[in-house]
Amino acid sequence: MKRREFLKLSTATCMAMAALGTGGKQGLGGGLFSPTMADASTGQLPGSLGAKEVTSVCEMCFWRCPIVAKVKNGKLVKIEGNPKSPVNGTRVCARGNSGVQLLYDPDRVKYPLKRVGARGEGKWAKISWDEALDEIAFNMDKVRKKYGPSSLAYFDHGASAEFLREIFKALGTENYSNEPAFFQCVGPVAVSYMSTMGYIVSGTRQYIDMANAKAILLVGSHIGENVHVSHVREYVEGLAKGAKLVVVDPRFSAPANKADIYLPIRPGTDTALLLTWINYVIEHNLYDKDFVEKNCEGFERLRQSVKKYTLSWAARICDLKVDDMEQAILLLARYRPNLTIHPGRHSAWYGNGDVGRHQALAILGALFGTVGAKGGIIFQTPVVKGHAECLKCEKLPSEEPETSLRDNYPFVEPFPGSPTAAIIKATLTGEPYPIKLWGINGVNILQTIPNPYDTMKAIKKLDFIFCEEMLMGETALWSDIVLPGATYLERYDGVYVYDGITPYLTLRQPVVEPMFEAKPPFWTAKQLAKKLKLKGLSCEKEEDFINEELKEAGLSIASLNKKGGIVTYPGKPYRDKDSLKVPTESGKIQLSVSDFADEDLPPVPEFIPAPAPPEGFARLIYGRAPVHTFSRTMNNLWLHNEWPENHAWVNDEVASKIGLKDGDTVILENQNGYRSLGIKVKVTPGIRPDAIYIDHGFGSRSPFLKRAYKRGASDQFLITHYKNDPFMGASSHRTDFVRIIKDGKTLNIPELVCVPPEIPRFQIEQS
Amino acid sequence: MSQYAMVIDLNRCVGCHACALACRAEWHVPVQPGYRRNWVKRMGPEMTPEGMSYTFYPGLCNHCDHPVCVEVCPADPVDKVFKDFRTGKTKKMTVKATYKEPFTGAVLIDKERCIGCGACVEACPYHARYLDETLDEPKADKCTFCYERISRGEIPACVKTCIADARIFGDLYDSNSRVHKLVHGGAKRLQSKVVQIGPNVYWVGKPKDLNLLFKHYAPRERTWETVDNGIEDLGRRGILKAALRKGTRIKVL
Repeated sequence: MKRREFLKLSTATCMAMAALGTGGKQGLGGGLFSPTMADASTGQLPGSLGAKEVTSVCEMCFWRCPIVAKVKNGKLVKIEGNPKSPVNGTRVCARGNSGVQLLYDPDRVKYPLKRVGARGEGKWAKISWDEALDEIAFNMDKVRKKYGPSSLAYFDHGASAEFLREIFKALGTENYSNEPAFFQCVGPVAVSYMSTMGYIVSGTRQYIDMANAKAILLVGSHIGENVHVSHVREYVEGLAKGAKLVVVDPRFSAPANKADIYLPIRPGTDTALLLTWINYVIEHNLYDKDFVEKNCEGFERLRQSVKKYTLSWAARICDLKVDDMEQAILLLARYRPNLTIHPGRHSAWYGNGDVGRHQALAILGALFGTVGAKGGIIFQTPVVKGHAECLKCEKLPSEEPETSLRDNYPFVEPFPGSPTAAIIKATLTGEPYPIKLWGINGVNILQTIPNPYDTMKAIKKLDFIFCEEMLMGETALWSDIVLPGATYLERYDGVYVYDGITPYLTLRQPVVEPMFEAKPPFWTAKQLAKKLKLKGLSCEKEEDFINEELKEAGLSIASLNKKGGIVTYPGKPYRDKDSLKVPTESGKIQLSVSDFADEDLPPVPEFIPAPAPPEGFARLIYGRAPVHTFSRTMNNLWLHNEWPENHAWVNDEVASKIGLKDGDTVILENQNGYRSLGIKVKVTPGIRPDAIYIDHGFGSRSPFLKRAYKRGASDQFLITHYKNDPFMGASSHRTDFVRIIKDGKTLNIPELVCVPPEIPRFQIEQS
Repeated sequence: MSQYAMVIDLNRCVGCHACALACRAEWHVPVQPGYRRNWVKRMGPEMTPEGMSYTFYPGLCNHCDHPVCVEVCPADPVDKVFKDFRTGKTKKMTVKATYKEPFTGAVLIDKERCIGCGACVEACPYHARYLDETLDEPKADKCTFCYERISRGEIPACVKTCIADARIFGDLYDSNSRVHKLVHGGAKRLQSKVVQIGPNVYWVGKPKDLNLLFKHYAPRERTWETVDNGIEDLGRRGILKAALRKGTRIKVL
């Protein structure tokens, strides 16, 4: 009942009571008309005003924006950006603002838990930290002795995972640092730029200068849906200053809306477009000849190999208009060299050809002379910090395995870790050697790595699996021991330096004491080292190694805090093209990578078509909801309230042909018969008819996440077919297809766009 | 003369929802359906005569020139002295539980005097108010332009957190303010032929985006006219007023 209606109904009662003068007692939990506003009585300033401020670094995603936390009466009330930060100032994103609700989430892992039911069943006993660590140490030691050091694997992501990594390293396994970030996300783009430019232009960060660009090209990058504050700010700044924007995407994304030219490309054909553009730029002399002559190698090889890629060919392959493609490349060419060819970020799309696609982007940037130019690819400015000796852990004498999980992937070499797909396969098959223990920290592997069904099967084969978690997601659900991790608001991490366009040094530090029995990861790693009788991790507490790291920068925790928690340095992002030297062996940009040829991989990118959807299916594509990170924020009180579930974007013509309406609840079924949880349909002309889009990270299968459980559909649980990139072993994420089930009836996706004969069709394996 | 106003630049806005969350955090807005002072609604992708649009409606109270929410407030008017936090000037006005603050033009709620009847909530054609029934004594609540903050030299929480600097806040009558310049440069009020009550949130954006915004969210219902203002209700209000005057506590079953 509405309150006013209630009041109306109560009028009679009111009258009677007033007349009788019997209003002394409080009804409805308080006198109806009595002034009881809290702020007036406590004398406290309203909102976050007057709070104690602690500077720190956000970890609602991995971008690490400098923040200031506002604490009143020992309780965190608000998080804002650190006003001294050159990248975000007072700003934080939706997630940054909602860190408060990670700290106070009632569904946090509160104390160490031991599995008592079957794996994945979710039956737990509360145990002590000592028991939990004893159990972990005992199993690590036992498995190592029985199967050898390489039988231990560690999946990790983020700052909190670094200390425990030292333990795995010390035990002698090479299977540590199996970062989902690398093997599911940035691996291919990192390898391509490393090989072309000599440094990782796009890894955790993107070293590009969108704020000063006169034109920007985005291929499948959804800035604004994918929110990293400084990155978004640079992009918006560039656009506000008049930068032209070209967006290539099968879906009309948030940046597509801001684009001057939008190219709704057929999924899986981006490289065809890029190689065609490269050919066009060379043929029409639109490239920077002087720059290429001075700074690039392999031009002739490139020129020869892209000759075959013509606009009319690309029009058919990419399902785009010749004129639109031509206008777009002419627009970009007009503004060289002050041009951002965005390198992309998540690049584990199709397995084959992922490195080539980003290599093509790198080549395009080089041909336009953008490397070192304002608005183009920028150089890192290293920031000095020390390395604390007391964080190291002495490696036990260990035999190297005869075969490495890294062997098949020649360009994984500069990076640590083994391809996650290889670890899961080794766990399942015992080949080339058995893996019997997994440690997990900072990543929900079941919502991150393709084919979670295989991952669950692999977990069942393990002797032991443990994780450190803040929330009881799917990975924790499948663990034997779950350790309650301290959130970023309750702990220190290492000193953090940013080597981008506006370099700075800052520090994550605790804002409040750890809640419940949560412990910071350094403490956990140190205890474990002791129990395993490892030599190292000798610092008593975090402040010791942090002060040691700060010393080289002429700082201490106290002096850094006096300066507002952050110190900035002048950046040196630009280079003159006449004295350009990139950190490759020859100092030149590699338009053709001979190292690739040495491994029988194409030195110059080739178009390798990704198989088209099988009949009746559309390609499953995915992206980010701007208020969520991975699958980790869906249970956050405020963020859940803001965006509780995802929607399946279905093309409007497709929808009308199969009788779907906006808001219908459906199930998505992939080509192998795996089905999603229920998801609402969003009918829109803003997606191609041959693709269906959902936001990543929803559809939690953990009943311990009370808000997120079964809300929306998980993309990951529909990605059961994947290919591994031949360069570094990343697992592909855009190689699966879905159709729709509504009210129990299967609705095949009608094929509204012809598939040219050059593109093979995906063959569904009959099992 | 002063009127604080906000311009929202849809060309800059990326639809990240930081504004909505900063507001919720700053003012402890309870998580209940419809409870918010500040919101982001997403529109499209949808065809408009100017092309395909996928844009956002980051909304808040419009602090209107003619606030219909104030008109319908049944609370007994009382004299109140207001002070301009910039000049120290004072002004006495007779106001109800919700009123237009004379020095900023912010529409505010006197929580001590609000009886929680919800008339203002129903009256607002922008649905900018909600009735907070999580309180022991329900009260209407909405955006205050962060009056509590701006009067202490701070800026509104949503403006402070906006990662794209898409929210521009200031005094419309200060000819040096960016707000003044943008409004005089053509920023638009979100209104229709039917509803024109002088909203002080203004919009800048591509024609296609403004088209979508106006199509979906320009108010077209004179909601305040259907708020029960009949004789019967006046009778009820008369009783409530009488009770207020006597300071009587009334037990409601």
